[in-house]
Amino acid sequence: MAEIEAFTVLFPEQRISQLKQRLQQALFPDELPDSGWDMGTPLSDIERIAKHWASKFDFQQAAAQLNELPQFKTKIDCEGFDPLSIHFVHLRSDNPNAIPLFFSHGWPGSFFEVYKIARQLTRSDNGGPCFHVVAPSLPNFGFSDGVKKRGFAIEQYATVCNQLMLKLGYERYVTQGGDWGEPPASLKSTQPGSRFPLPDGATPRELQGAQRTAWFLDEGYGYNLLQSTKPQTLAYALADSPLALLAWISEKLHDWTDNYPWTDDEICLWVSIYYFSTAGPAAATRIYYEMAHDRNGKYVPKDSMGKGFEGGVPGTQKITGAYLKKDHGTGVKIGMSHFPMDIQVLPSLYTNTLGNVVYEKEHERGGHFAAHECPDELASDLREMFGALDLRSA
Amino acid sequence: MADITPFQINVPDSQIEDLKTRLSLAKFPDELDQAGWDMGAPLGDVKRLVAYWKDKYDWRKAEAEMNKFPQYTTTIQAEGFEPLNVHFVWRKSSVENAIPLLLVHGWPGGCWEFAKMFDKLVDGDGTNDPAFDVVLISLPNYGFSQGTKKRGFAIEQYAETCNKLMLKLGYGEYVTQGGDWGFYITRAMSLMYPQHVKATHLNFDFGSAPTWSQHPLLSLQHAVTPYSTREKKGLARAQWFQEEGSGYRTEQGTKPQTLGYGLTDSPVALLAWIYEKLHDWTDDYPFTDDEVCTWISLYWFSKAGPAANVRIYYEAIHSWNKPSEGKITRERVAEYIPHVKIGYSHQPAELRPVPKTWVKKLGNIVFDRDSEKGGHFFAYEMPDQLVKDLRDMFRKGGGAYGVVRGKKGYKEVAKL
Repeated sequence: MAEIEAFTVLFPEQRISQLKQRLQQALFPDELPDSGWDMGTPLSDIERIAKHWASKFDFQQAAAQLNELPQFKTKIDCEGFDPLSIHFVHLRSDNPNAIPLFFSHGWPGSFFEVYKIARQLTRSDNGGPCFHVVAPSLPNFGFSDGVKKRGFAIEQYATVCNQLMLKLGYERYVTQGGDWGEPPASLKSTQPGSRFPLPDGATPRELQGAQRTAWFLDEGYGYNLLQSTKPQTLAYALADSPLALLAWISEKLHDWTDNYPWTDDEICLWVSIYYFSTAGPAAATRIYYEMAHDRNGKYVPKDSMGKGFEGGVPGTQKITGAYLKKDHGTGVKIGMSHFPMDIQVLPSLYTNTLGNVVYEKEHERGGHFAAHECPDELASDLREMFGALDLRSA
Repeated sequence: MADITPFQINVPDSQIEDLKTRLSLAKFPDELDQAGWDMGAPLGDVKRLVAYWKDKYDWRKAEAEMNKFPQYTTTIQAEGFEPLNVHFVWRKSSVENAIPLLLVHGWPGGCWEFAKMFDKLVDGDGTNDPAFDVVLISLPNYGFSQGTKKRGFAIEQYAETCNKLMLKLGYGEYVTQGGDWGFYITRAMSLMYPQHVKATHLNFDFGSAPTWSQHPLLSLQHAVTPYSTREKKGLARAQWFQEEGSGYRTEQGTKPQTLGYGLTDSPVALLAWIYEKLHDWTDDYPFTDDEVCTWISLYWFSKAGPAANVRIYYEAIHSWNKPSEGKITRERVAEYIPHVKIGYSHQPAELRPVPKTWVKKLGNIVFDRDSEKGGHFFAYEMPDQLVKDLRDMFRKGGGAYGVVRGKKGYKEVAKL
């Protein structure tokens, strides 16, 4: 396949020195004493990490770390849009019968989230199934192209991801991504501290999860609403101030994880993938806007079912978040891994409404970036789930 | 009155040069085709304004214009907080019994929103029109007032600061005007200082439908009166604000520090953040590039820094959400407040225009006028109209005539 090109991550020298210069000229705000993380990323953290990024962070070494896994680029068509050059990690198992696994990152993550689990997933000596791992940079993220037109929403992302797998020769594959769910209509009552009804006999995980979800909706939702409505206004800050980008992302790296001991190097690497992204740091937030609006730019309320995907040409219908949370009888088998410090932690009764849930695992620790925080647990879950299934059947 | 010190704005040259340097190094994002204003401030507008701000805009000229106004600073201390140096504009009318009037701005406003009204209000002739002693406060954390360095400075503290300023200036009884945070602050003042605050004029629609249990007559009226065309349009506008225009408020109300890094480090970020509101919240007001640059410069050069002004959202909202006795909550300011006479001016492009029956819940409405035009920044967009509204509210025969003892706003006619 001549049109799948090998790709090597390179941080351009000129841009690195521009970044360093810009960081050295940064202006810092004050901070109210005793605010901790309550009001946002603390000043001392930003000052320290900015200094590290400007003077200690080794871009060559970071690029070498990213280049430890084989990466490629290929053009993918998407109806209604220009073809996009998609960057992806593709790590094949030695075992030709390995299961093709598509790994999707989110925001503010990247393809790098797969790095701690990729190699172990491809190995066939773990007493479980092994996988061929495909982990792209989604359009508008990492080293994939950015989209230039409005309307690139979930259907388009799904189309591109599916086309990529098909192009790599994987007609049938499995996927790994985040966790959602929807309260069944039968539940009416609401406990204090919970933003949704809790089932009778809710487990400690579910009770704690309700509090965590309430925190997310009450204190941690600003980024979501802003990115869903005015991503362009935000874009100016993210483009012009590396400090703004650092603060915007590192707040989530802290708030959404389970006391994960981020090193300054790790944070700089995560943020650098945004800073040096092909589409620019602002483009990645547009997915929120496109999810929240229909093709005519009209706001789509969170509970709107939209028109769904009725087959046929992708992009002709509108898939909303609410639509995705319902079981549409496709029969696709679903596995759920629950991590306590994820941002929406829902009772099993809810998550089971997604569809044909055949596997569920609760974890004692871990948060939103499970593959990065708890790679062994997640890899074990994947082997457990897929090991128990006969994937050759329909 | 020993520590009321005259003040002139004098931004150091180094700050102006630094701003221009930052603007010249600015990096811009791209923009999606046909994004218009839907996704935020358009790229073409922001680039044009940045170029103007950098190359053509004359801050010193704007500064000189502002310095024609009589400005002062004084120290005010809210209980439990450090003393703050508060900036204000103030002039006493030549009419001896002028009505003391405090105008309170909000976000992203400032005392200069009222500049076009200032002289007219003070120079009411006291015969045909009432005259006012006018005070324009720069709220703590805004403009050339100091910012607080302590958590918890919420609506009560802003109200306390405003009241203490008026008392310090010798006004035991006074009236207020406000929109945006100025609405909440002056409503809080009505609750906290009924002995001092005699009337409030408001230009910020707020509230909810009257309930049967609390306002049976209004609730009935609301139930049987169909919404007028204006009211329907207003509800649609309110829906737009709720769905499309609330991201800033949620972010500022939860993570103002995270936001503050961009606002402090990038004048382009600050420009876009505020300019989007100047467009979205006004009724097609034809801002010149000069006007926009002056507005943003006041935030960029502010004494407390560009990150401080958004903290009011965090402090107010967290204070409201803490159920405890005696706290001024958002619900309370939307309910009936006795004793204080209320005047209302309604604009079609306000953020949440509400039906008439909802407004009547707020108190004794003695003046109520719909404007055909205008938006959130009413005092700036239509200063002559607001001057007229205030004069009509307080003039002889007006709903709030004579509320302040001995200060009716008119010349005393010599008795023979």
